[in-house]
Amino acid sequence: MRKGFMLIASLLAITATVPVFAQAAFAPSQNIEWIVTSSPGGGSDIYTRIISDIMTKMNLVNGKTILVTNKTDGGGEVGRLTVSRVPAGRQADHTLLTFNSGDLMPMVANTANRIENFTPIALMAVDKQLLYIGEQAKYKTFAEVIAAVKAGKNVVIAGSKGDDVATYKLLIKELGFSETQLAFITNNATSDAITSILGGHVDLVMSKPAAADQYVLAGKLTPILALSSTRFTGNLASAPTLSEVGPYKNVEYPVWRGVVGPKSMSPAAVKFWSSVFKAVSESEAWKTGYIEKYKLQPFYMDYEQAREYMTDYQADYLKSIGK
Amino acid sequence: MENFEFLLHGFQVVFTLENLIATLIGCLLGLIIGAMPGIGSLAGCALLLPLTYRFNPTTAIIMLGGLYYANMFGGSFSAILLNIPGDTPAIMTTLDGYPMATKKKRPGQALLTANFSSFIGGFIGMIILTFTGPALANVGLKFGPVEMTTLLLFAMTSIGWLVGENPTKGLILTLLGMLVASMGMDTLTGSPRYDFGNVYLLGGVPFTPFVIGIVGFSQVILLMEQRNTAPKLVTEKLTLRGSMITKHDVKRLALPAIRGGILGTFVGVLPGAGATAASIMSYSTQKSFKSEEPLGTGAIEGIAASESANNGAAAGAFAPLLALGIPGSGTGAVLLGGLMLWGLNPGPLLFKNSPDFAWGLIASLFIANVLALAVSWGVIPFLIKILSVPTKLLIPIITVVCIVGSYSTSNSMYGVIIMFISGVVGYIMQKFQYSYAPLLLAFVLSPMLESNMRKAFIISRGSVQIFVQKPISLVFLIAIVGIVLFPVVRYFLMRIGVIQPKTAR
Repeated sequence: MRKGFMLIASLLAITATVPVFAQAAFAPSQNIEWIVTSSPGGGSDIYTRIISDIMTKMNLVNGKTILVTNKTDGGGEVGRLTVSRVPAGRQADHTLLTFNSGDLMPMVANTANRIENFTPIALMAVDKQLLYIGEQAKYKTFAEVIAAVKAGKNVVIAGSKGDDVATYKLLIKELGFSETQLAFITNNATSDAITSILGGHVDLVMSKPAAADQYVLAGKLTPILALSSTRFTGNLASAPTLSEVGPYKNVEYPVWRGVVGPKSMSPAAVKFWSSVFKAVSESEAWKTGYIEKYKLQPFYMDYEQAREYMTDYQADYLKSIGK
Repeated sequence: MENFEFLLHGFQVVFTLENLIATLIGCLLGLIIGAMPGIGSLAGCALLLPLTYRFNPTTAIIMLGGLYYANMFGGSFSAILLNIPGDTPAIMTTLDGYPMATKKKRPGQALLTANFSSFIGGFIGMIILTFTGPALANVGLKFGPVEMTTLLLFAMTSIGWLVGENPTKGLILTLLGMLVASMGMDTLTGSPRYDFGNVYLLGGVPFTPFVIGIVGFSQVILLMEQRNTAPKLVTEKLTLRGSMITKHDVKRLALPAIRGGILGTFVGVLPGAGATAASIMSYSTQKSFKSEEPLGTGAIEGIAASESANNGAAAGAFAPLLALGIPGSGTGAVLLGGLMLWGLNPGPLLFKNSPDFAWGLIASLFIANVLALAVSWGVIPFLIKILSVPTKLLIPIITVVCIVGSYSTSNSMYGVIIMFISGVVGYIMQKFQYSYAPLLLAFVLSPMLESNMRKAFIISRGSVQIFVQKPISLVFLIAIVGIVLFPVVRYFLMRIGVIQPKTAR
C-alpha cells in the first residue's frame, strides 16, 4: 500500500516537473502558422517563404511544418489584429507574423493597434525600392517622366501599401509635384501592381528588387530610377538615382523587414524563435539566395534589440504624423 | 498545333504510375475538402503543400492541381444535399440544386447534372488553356481598372434578371449587400468604415460565414419550424439506377454548360475575379436564356450554368499563373508558393524554362477532370442517403456543420456569431419571399467594383471620359445601355403594334 502511494507520489512529482523542463527549452510541438499581410508574389511574401523554406531545409523547427497564410483583408489590419489577440498557450508559441516598416506605418496611423501588442522576435534585412517601366512605356527615362508631368500629362505609378506610399510621398515632395500631377495607386501587394503595368494600364511601377526580379529577367520590366542614395548592382545598375537625373536630392526610404509574434508568446518560445532567425540570417542560403540575389542589406537584430528598434521607430513615426 | 504536341508531351510526363496515383489522391482529397463547408481548396492546398516537399516538383504540383480542381466538384455536393455551399463558388448551385433534390425529389439527377456540367465546363476551360496558353493570359492583362469597372457594372446590371417578380425587394437586397460589403477597412487608403468602434468589424464581414448563415443556417431554422408538419425530405429508396439522368436532361444541361464553361474560363483569367464571380455571372446570364423551368425552382439549366462556370474558371485561372506568375486566387497563390519551394521560378519564363512542368500540369488537369467525374459518380449512391436522414437528426447535424465551417475560416467565434446573425436574417428574408441571390451577388461584386472604379479615376484624374476612350470598356457600356433600354424600347414597340406582346415566357 505504502509502496503504491510512493509510486503515485513520485509519478506525480515527475509529471509536475516535466512542463517546467518543457518551458525552459521550447521546441515546436505542432504546425507553425506564419501570417503574411500581403498578397502572394509580393516582396513580403517572397521574404516569408524563403525564410520558412530555409528553416525547413535546415531542420530548425523540430520537423514541424510551417504554414504560410496570406491575410490581406482590411489592408492587412485584420491579420495583424488576429495575431495580436492570440491567447497565451500552444497556439501563441506557434504563431509568427511577417512585420516590416510598411506594416507598422498604416497600422499605427489608422488603428489603435500598436507594436506593444506584439512580441518582436527579430529584424532580418533592409530593403529599398526602384521605379520600373513596362514594355509599352510612353516614357523611357525618368527625365522624360518629369518633363511629361511638367507638361501637364497624367502620369500614374502603381505600388504596394505602407512603405511604398511613404516613399512616393517623399518622391513627389522632392520633385515639387502634387498627388494629382504624379498619381499613385495603392495595391494589396507589389504583385498586383506589376499585373497592372504588364497590361499597360499605368506608366510606372514601384517595387523592391525581389518582386520584380523575374520580370526584369524576362525583359518585361526595366528599372529607370533607383530610390536609393547609391545605384543598385547587377541587372539593376542601369537605373540612375534621382540626383543623377536632375537638380534633386536622392530619395531613399529604407524598409526594414522583421518578424513578430503574439504578445502572449511565452519567453521561452521568444528566445527559441529569435535564435532560429539568427541561424537563418547566418546561413549561406539566406546570404546568397535572398540578400545578394535581391540586393538587400543584412540587418539582423535579436528579440531585445528588435523590440527597442521597433518601439523607437513607432514613436518617431507617430511624432512625424502628429499623433 | 505546336501546343497540341506540347500537351501530348505533357501526357507522357503524367502517365507514370507515381503521377497517376498522385492525381487520384489529389482528386479524392479535393472532393472531400470541397464538400466540407468552410474548408476550401485554399486550406486544402496549404495543408497538403508541406507533405509534398519530398516529391519531385512535377508530381507535387500534379497532386495539388488535382486537389484544387476536384474541389470544384465537391463543392456542389453539400450545396445540393444540404443547401450549404461546400466552397464559395458553389453558392449559385444551391439556388437550383437544393430545390431539385428536395422539392423535385431528384437528388441523384441534381448531383449528376452538377458533375457533368463541371466536367464540361472544366474540359472547355482546359481546351482553351491548351490552345491559347500564354496568349490567354495576355487577354486577361488587357483588363485594367477601367475595363474591370465596366465589366463589373455590366455584371451588376444583370442583377435585374435575378430579382424576379418584385423589383423593389431585389433593389433593397442589392443595396443591403453593397452596404454590408463596404464595412471594414477600405482597400485603397485603409480608412475604417462602419466599424462601430468594434475591432472585429474593422476587418469587415467575413464572406464564408456570411454565406453559410444566409443560405445554410436559415434553412435549419426553417426545418425546425416545419419539423412536425413536413415529412422526411425524401422517402423513396434512392438507387444509382434511379438517379440516372435522362436523355432529355442531358439536352437541357448541354447548352448552358457550354456557355458557362466559356464564360467561366474567361472570367477566371481576369485578374482578381475568381470562380465565385464566374459562377454568379454565368447564372445571371442564364436568366436571359430560355430555361424549361424558371430558375430558382430546381432547374437543371441553373445548376449547369453555375457549376460549369466555376470549373471553367478554375482552369482559366491557370493561364496567368503559368504564363506570367500571377496568381488569380488564394489557391493559385499557394501553388505559386509551392513552385518557389521546389526551386522553379514562377514568372514569364516558366513555359520556356520548365516545359515539362508546365505542360505536365495542364495534362494532369485533363486527367483530374476525368478522375473527379468518375469518383464523384461512384459516391453518389452513398451521398444521397443523407436525404433519408430524419429531420430531427438532420437539424443538429447541419447546425454542427454550419458552426464548424464558419469557425474554421478565421479560427474564431467571430465567424460563428456572423453565421448565426446572418442565418436569422436569411430566415426572415425567406419568410417574406426575398431571394438571397441579389444580396450575395452585390456582396461579392461591389468591393471589386469599388476598388477598380477608384483606381480608374486615379488614372484619369477624375474624368469619366476614360470609360468611353478604351474600346473594351466602351463595348461594355453600350451593352449596359442596351440592357437598361431594352424593356423601354420593347414597351414602346408594343404600344405602336410593331411586335405582339408575349403571353408567357
